[in-house]
Amino acid sequence: MTIFTIDEVKKTFINGEVKEQVLKGINLSLHQGEITALVGASGSGKSTILTIAAGLQRATDGQVLFNKKNMTDMSQEQIRKIRASEFGFVFQSSHLVPFLTVEEQLMLMLDVSGTKMKKKEQKVEVAKILKLIDMDHRRDAYPASLSGGEKQRVAIARAIIHKPKMLFADEPTASLDSKRSKDVMTLIRELTKTLSITTLMVTHDEEMLSYADHVITMKDGLIL
Amino acid sequence: MNIAWKEIKKSKAKFIILGSIIFLVSFLTFIISGLANGLSQDNAALIKDLPDGQFYMNDDANETYNLSKIDESTQDKVLNDQKDAAAFSIQMGFVNDAEDKQHSVAFVTSTDSRLFEKVGEGEIVLDRSLEEDGIKVGDTITNNQFSGEFTVKGFVDQKKYSHAPVAYINMENYKEIYGVDEMQLVFVAGQEKGPDIAGLQSFSSKEFFNTIPSYSAEQMSLNMIVWFLVVISGMLFAIFFYMMNVQKIGLYGILKALGVKTSRLFGMMWSQMLFITVIALTLSVALSQGFTMIAPEGMPFSLTLQTTVQLSIIFVIIGFVGATLSGIQIKKVEPLQAIQQGEV
Ligand SMILES: Nc1ncnc2c1ncn2[C@@H]1O[C@H](COP(=O)(O)OP(=O)(O)OP(=O)(O)O)[C@@H](O)[C@H]1O
Ligand SMILES: [Mg+2]
Repeated sequence: MTIFTIDEVKKTFINGEVKEQVLKGINLSLHQGEITALVGASGSGKSTILTIAAGLQRATDGQVLFNKKNMTDMSQEQIRKIRASEFGFVFQSSHLVPFLTVEEQLMLMLDVSGTKMKKKEQKVEVAKILKLIDMDHRRDAYPASLSGGEKQRVAIARAIIHKPKMLFADEPTASLDSKRSKDVMTLIRELTKTLSITTLMVTHDEEMLSYADHVITMKDGLIL
Repeated sequence: MNIAWKEIKKSKAKFIILGSIIFLVSFLTFIISGLANGLSQDNAALIKDLPDGQFYMNDDANETYNLSKIDESTQDKVLNDQKDAAAFSIQMGFVNDAEDKQHSVAFVTSTDSRLFEKVGEGEIVLDRSLEEDGIKVGDTITNNQFSGEFTVKGFVDQKKYSHAPVAYINMENYKEIYGVDEMQLVFVAGQEKGPDIAGLQSFSSKEFFNTIPSYSAEQMSLNMIVWFLVVISGMLFAIFFYMMNVQKIGLYGILKALGVKTSRLFGMMWSQMLFITVIALTLSVALSQGFTMIAPEGMPFSLTLQTTVQLSIIFVIIGFVGATLSGIQIKKVEPLQAIQQGEV
């Protein structure tokens, strides 16, 4: 079942006098519970289409449909609500909140997503997912004291703890060694299947492609 | 979860630095305005302490009280007609104490009135500051224009004119020293707008101050000092809170990307702003009030709690504006743009 559609999306960045068309008309549909991998050369526009799909920036032209609702027409507040409760996002660099502990990062996400949980229930939920990503021993650590891979695992946990419908991940395994990468991908794959999460993921790593249901290659702002 | 508080706890140093800047700048503003107020008090406490009312000089005085001479019959009529009125004169001069040391004073004399000290012939009442110079009650004081001697009858607090201590003397003695028969001024207390009196020109307290050249010029500079301080420190506050939030734009971008409500972000900025300013300003108000108590006796310093609280409220409002302006900017920007701006 198609849950997410990207239709003729274009993006032009304007820097002073210079106009650069980064996306030249992207068409994509994502099926519920499937993992779609985006590959392509650096600068081909992978992160750009991912962030547009996730509602973190707007397209210059074209449409993005989630659950048949057109996100292109929505107000910032409507998009925010969807982001908070239905989307999860893993950035290319983890972007954790510097003044929150690992546990607090995840509790904040539960807070924001509107799951009406008591603090105690939140802690139980957080403990579960920390175990899953093998980070329960670093529960009270601040991001500054985590290694790159640990940060990335927390960022993944943050993106899925509220059981979103869509997961967008920008090279989630880039800072992990090959064993951890496989663990994380197995995790994402499992979640995607059990919770029926739809995943759009950018990756450079050939090995990771085996976890994907579809692989899409981008070049110069177009899909090959 | 209170993210505002979590951040303050984690980044203590940053918030302490910001708080100390606000504390120091507001403390500076309070102290300087206390000094300016003190100076202005020092220049005209005698007049400032009079109740609301109207001052009169004669028409020919050219709006200069030194040149004013109030006709005796006019004066008698006004004092008869108005129940709370006095005629008085002020002249700068010198007195010599028992050890023949010279002190500059402002001689003040008046008709019988509750508004001025009542002194008999040969008596003198002095401002308290002269007591610190070693003059005591019962001392003999002389003046080279005066044939007799004055006996110090007592001291009064905080009566200054033109930065000199006031010396109240009897009208007869005053007439001898300055060789005049008429008083310079009539003051009628009570009315907003005093009665019209033929041959006399009336002045409100404010208008009267403006006729004292040394006073109005000095007052203007003092007011300017205080206003510049308030405006510049206010702008500093606004800029600080603006900068603090703009510098954190990447963080706000992350929070927005997660889906944190804009109202929650505003709440975060406002509560952090309030937290810092309220603590810094409370300290600053307390310390400046403490300074009022320990300020050296002779130093002109006057700072009421009311003034500091009013200034503090202005500062809080301006800080609020600064935080809100940055908030609006953060509200408008797309999450990704904010994150990218924070990275450079
Ligand atoms: N905010 C922006 N302003 C101007 N140009 C931008 C902006 N964001 C991205 N670009 C440009 O768009 C192009 C595509 O960038 P994008 O980040 O999507 O590439 P990518 O495929 O994710 O590359 P990588 O594999 O290196 O992450 C690049 O040329 C980049 O310089
Ligand atoms: Mg990228």
